[in-house]
Amino acid sequence: MTETSTADWAAANLKRADNVEIAPRLSEDWLSLIIGLAIFVLALGALGNSDIIGWVVNTAVWNDLGRALAPVSKAYASLGGVGALLATFVALLVVLSLAAVALKANVGKFAAGFTAVFWLAYGSWILGNYANFAAVTPAEYQRFGITWSLGLTNEGAYIFALVIGLLIANFAPRFAEAIKDAVRPELYIKIAIVILGGVFAVTAAGKLNLAASVLARGIAAIVEAYLIYWAVIYFVARKWFGFNREWAAPLASGISICGVSAAIATGGAIRSRPLIPVLVSSLVVIFACVEVLILPFLAKTFLGHEPMVAGAWMGLSVKTDGAAVAAGGIAEALILAQNAAEGVKYQPGWILGTTTTIKVFIDVFIGIWAFVLGYIWTNHINPDTRNKAKAWEIWERFPTFILGFVLTLLAGLYLVFATPADIAAKVPAAVGEANTFRVIFFILTFFSIGLLSNFKRLWEEGIGKLAAVYFVCLFGFVIWVGLLISWLFFAGVKPPLAS
Amino acid sequence: MSQVNVRDELSKAAVEPLLPIEKKLIGWSLGIGIVLLVVLVALNHLFPVAI
Repeated sequence: MTETSTADWAAANLKRADNVEIAPRLSEDWLSLIIGLAIFVLALGALGNSDIIGWVVNTAVWNDLGRALAPVSKAYASLGGVGALLATFVALLVVLSLAAVALKANVGKFAAGFTAVFWLAYGSWILGNYANFAAVTPAEYQRFGITWSLGLTNEGAYIFALVIGLLIANFAPRFAEAIKDAVRPELYIKIAIVILGGVFAVTAAGKLNLAASVLARGIAAIVEAYLIYWAVIYFVARKWFGFNREWAAPLASGISICGVSAAIATGGAIRSRPLIPVLVSSLVVIFACVEVLILPFLAKTFLGHEPMVAGAWMGLSVKTDGAAVAAGGIAEALILAQNAAEGVKYQPGWILGTTTTIKVFIDVFIGIWAFVLGYIWTNHINPDTRNKAKAWEIWERFPTFILGFVLTLLAGLYLVFATPADIAAKVPAAVGEANTFRVIFFILTFFSIGLLSNFKRLWEEGIGKLAAVYFVCLFGFVIWVGLLISWLFFAGVKPPLAS
Repeated sequence: MSQVNVRDELSKAAVEPLLPIEKKLIGWSLGIGIVLLVVLVALNHLFPVAI
């Protein structure tokens, strides 16, 4: 490593860019798995005629605010929209405050912060569902009595949450700092991904061959991210920009693999000073934010008729799980709306499912890659270190929330195919209730990513040279190679048509 | 976040030329990656996506 004294670094207030504690009681991954599975299991209560979570709030495209909100299940219609919103808030506040205890966070600060995060994020979502922003089809224009719309679709409202988060981070940084304990995009997106496994199962059930093909092509994503992206970016950082190994390795992992968690895992594996991956992860979040604002719209413009290519492209190009899956969600909403306007109605879920599959495949191997790097670093580059890489570190760095995704996926497929017809018929509606929570966790993720993206502060920290590597690699290489690979494997593949 | 200035830290960092093991890592990763991608593209053509 470098000759630099670690004193300054030790004095620094170490905290991951995504607010993950360094030594929690229970890891964020396990918490995500537990919460995501709990929501999924409770939703399945509807299969036995026990509608346990039907009170969760759902927002429709609106031009009369009084009709925007409603409980997702008619069984709870008496609650009304505001009642459902309050119930959703209280439930999430309680559950996530318990999670904060497990994460060793300050519960009081978390609860106060989450209150602000929830209402601002959900308020942004409601705003983004205003008819003039979200309506797409002529039928919707007629229904709402409007003559123009931005045509962003209801899921395009995620952009509103992201932009409002960005505005707060950059123009009200003190407020953003005050609520930072609840700004946890990785926690929120991992819960969403666990639920998404079940949602994808229901989507895939109608077209298992296509789903299996998508899964098989996830292997190409692993090859691309770990073997091609990483090698090129590491070379560029070392040779062209003159970074030393301690900086170049976490940076290469952050840009090429899965953003924040990859940078942290690599930093640990090569025994770098802890602040390095933390700083790299700050940069990853900023660039992910920029990508989410640009790439889904590029996908809609240029890949509107290649939906699966667009989905794979989001998974391969946008870094961090939250931003990638979120970008897949926006791309899906925009592309489905565009095709619907042309009279082609695709089944929802396939584009987002492809993005998520690609991302999950990439995530699975981070532990193995980190071990490979750790082995090389501790045996060949710094062989004098006593702290050699051990094989058990592979499991230690395994993103356990992915087990939740696999479990809900398998459970969903089992329920659709292996249960009596009367039960199987209820599965889509039951999983739909869980999916409403998934949408809310997406909203929280978008808003949180925006809140973490304080461009001015990052610039003041002198991160320009790191950003230059990121910019050159991302926009000069990663995005275009990702597009090429996506095209090679998914061109001509269309999602099934909606019945 | 930290109060550490990254620019200062980077300027203090020692220059480290690429070691042979790093060149091997880069070369083998790229080589294996490209070969595997070619194989996967070939398989993709042999077994196209089941629509």
